[in-house]
Amino acid sequence: MSAHQIFSDALLTDGAACPPGLTTWNQSDPERRFAVYRNNVIVSLIDALADSFPVTQELVGEEFFRAMARVFARAHPPRTPVLACYGELFPGFIEAFPPAASLAYLADVARLEMLRVQAFHAADAEALGVDRIAALLADETQLGECRFSLQPSLGMLRSGYAVASLWAAHQAQDCAAALGEVDPLTAETALVLRVGLEVEIFRISTGAACFIDQLLQGLAFGPAAEQGLAADAEFDLASTLGLLIQGGALCAVTTHRSTTS
Amino acid sequence: MNKTLTATTLAIALGAALTTVSVGTYAASHGGAAKGEPMAMEKEHCYGVALKGKNDCKAGAGTSCAGTSKMDHQSNAWSAVPKGSCEKTASKTSPTGFGQLMEFKAKMAG
Repeated sequence: MSAHQIFSDALLTDGAACPPGLTTWNQSDPERRFAVYRNNVIVSLIDALADSFPVTQELVGEEFFRAMARVFARAHPPRTPVLACYGELFPGFIEAFPPAASLAYLADVARLEMLRVQAFHAADAEALGVDRIAALLADETQLGECRFSLQPSLGMLRSGYAVASLWAAHQAQDCAAALGEVDPLTAETALVLRVGLEVEIFRISTGAACFIDQLLQGLAFGPAAEQGLAADAEFDLASTLGLLIQGGALCAVTTHRSTTS
Repeated sequence: MNKTLTATTLAIALGAALTTVSVGTYAASHGGAAKGEPMAMEKEHCYGVALKGKNDCKAGAGTSCAGTSKMDHQSNAWSAVPKGSCEKTASKTSPTGFGQLMEFKAKMAG
């Protein structure tokens, strides 16, 4: 085992022996100094998770959350020095974590919060101007063949639970009252999108989710709209487009003749 | 089921969408999460703005003892009754009618 491996193992294991060969500049006890360092490492990782998953923490309470985050951080230490995106594996961990099993929606709420973090740090792309989109109407026959590129920050979560509503209730002034209005067992699909500097969450219909999914996969506008309608007879294409345009989610369009971005 | 949408249908939908955008209002159907901010109000980007505490220099100056003053909860945290909002969130399957995390306590005892 390499010295590095011994050091990092000792760092992530409570009560493990101090790695051999450590010295201190002021003759203090290396064992004690190492324990301080070990505590700082784990506390900063737990703090990072608490920052990224605030609603998940509110759902279970700080004590439970921090204990769960500690188990996670030991099992899945970060792979890069950038803590901003740490926790990608946390929702999957929660899903398989027996103590949290009674809160079936907890993992999906964590997934939504991870999508928010990812959207926050996603690359910028200039939104397609309304005039450019309007210009597409000039050639109706080609409209169905247009292919739209969407914002890198755009993410979707299909859940069997009311994830978007639960999340929204936790943003309310009176969280308890807002939660009273939510039935967690209602399936919801959440659209996550950064609009300017704000990451926003929208509840969208099954049809809208299908339509957006098809656009993400590179399907042309016409066929994607048909898929949306096939998935959901109530699919409202106009309002879905309105949401995407308003949020600046469309950032490029390819027609047969040209690419506009 | 394979409906074919005509070019006109697509054009009408896109036209209607553009109309709502220029008015700057979202349909109320998007719920409370929608903020309905017009696109014209694009904010200037400022890279100093980040999620609270989200940086990679937690081990910077002055933090070396931050952790020691805050020894974290140990594993016995599981036996505690959760104080989170899950207790206020409706649950049809729970005897209390609300979410709870007691299952783990039972497991720990067994």
